[in-house]
Amino acid sequence: MTGLAELTGLGLRWETSGQAGLTGPLLALADGCDRAFRTIASRWHAQEEAYPMTLPAASLGGHLRSFPHQVTFAAALDPADANLAGFADGPVVDASGTVALTGTAPVTEVLTPAACHHVYRAHRGERLAQATYVTTRSTCFRRERQYEPLRRQWTFAMREIVCLGTAEETASFLDEACTMTDRFAGLVDVPVDWVAATDTFFRPDRHPGHLLQRIQAVKHEAVYGGSLALGSANLHHDHFGSAYDITRGGGRASTACLAFGLERWLYALVDRHGLDPAGWPDLDAAAMRAVAR
Amino acid sequence: MRSDTEIRAQLRTFVRRHAGDVTDDTPLFTLRLLRSVHLPELIILLERLRGAPIDVEQLRMGDFDGIDAMMARFGSLP
Repeated sequence: MTGLAELTGLGLRWETSGQAGLTGPLLALADGCDRAFRTIASRWHAQEEAYPMTLPAASLGGHLRSFPHQVTFAAALDPADANLAGFADGPVVDASGTVALTGTAPVTEVLTPAACHHVYRAHRGERLAQATYVTTRSTCFRRERQYEPLRRQWTFAMREIVCLGTAEETASFLDEACTMTDRFAGLVDVPVDWVAATDTFFRPDRHPGHLLQRIQAVKHEAVYGGSLALGSANLHHDHFGSAYDITRGGGRASTACLAFGLERWLYALVDRHGLDPAGWPDLDAAAMRAVAR
Repeated sequence: MRSDTEIRAQLRTFVRRHAGDVTDDTPLFTLRLLRSVHLPELIILLERLRGAPIDVEQLRMGDFDGIDAMMARFGSLP
């Protein structure tokens, strides 16, 4: 188990709020990981897309009901002069570090919970003539009861490869995505096991999404060291195709995604290969070999 | 608690109402004839018919993928 002191020596700047800054060797390693994942995405000629930090709450109604414990909202002050003056003339921040808010503007935006949500929304209403592959990276926000550096964070970087297509195309994509991930993980000597998984739904016992994940193989995680999910392969069927009126082959599009948690890969690579960057694997070469086979 | 015959009959009624005319071995969720929204109601129905709760944390892949599969897993208690 690699500790905070060792990670700090490699460039981690840990915030007890559950957020990580990266400098030095760890930042270079993070850049290398993302470059490697983009190389893997090139296997499908995935188009790079970039999105804002927030999503309209109105587009995430189901998600908000399913994961209220994880959501972070983008809040701002009511812009009325008197309200702003009341804030500026008050304590602003109290001794505990809590902002002494006055009136707030209506909250309409959610900080991105998963990178791929942007993709489905951006492709709303499209009539796809062929399977479409997209890769995108977002800083994602998920509240947790406890945080661990690089392993479980409030904010973390997620690189995703998304397929929008027929049911057959998304199934084929996921098969190959898992194979590609296995190859890459093998080449960088970070052993992973694929296991069926469920998301952490609120009140899961009667949540349709949780129940479905228990009886159908729609979510698998690539787990390192028995407990750390470095990535996940997710089949959404036509959930997003229906929600955003995306069609493919005369029916609602099916969607699937392969997601990588960048900070977790940093943890696994350091845990596996040690604290000396000279001993870290060549991620670019591994990714190239993974897609070339 | 009902007999297996009664449970199967009620399951057929539920499934046909939501998925149309299917056979007992039709893979209902694999074919997307039933969807996630049907699961809570289906579990409540099974709990009532068998007279015992279902621990959702013990659910396994394929448990609901057909009337035969549901009977094998959740039929009347011995």
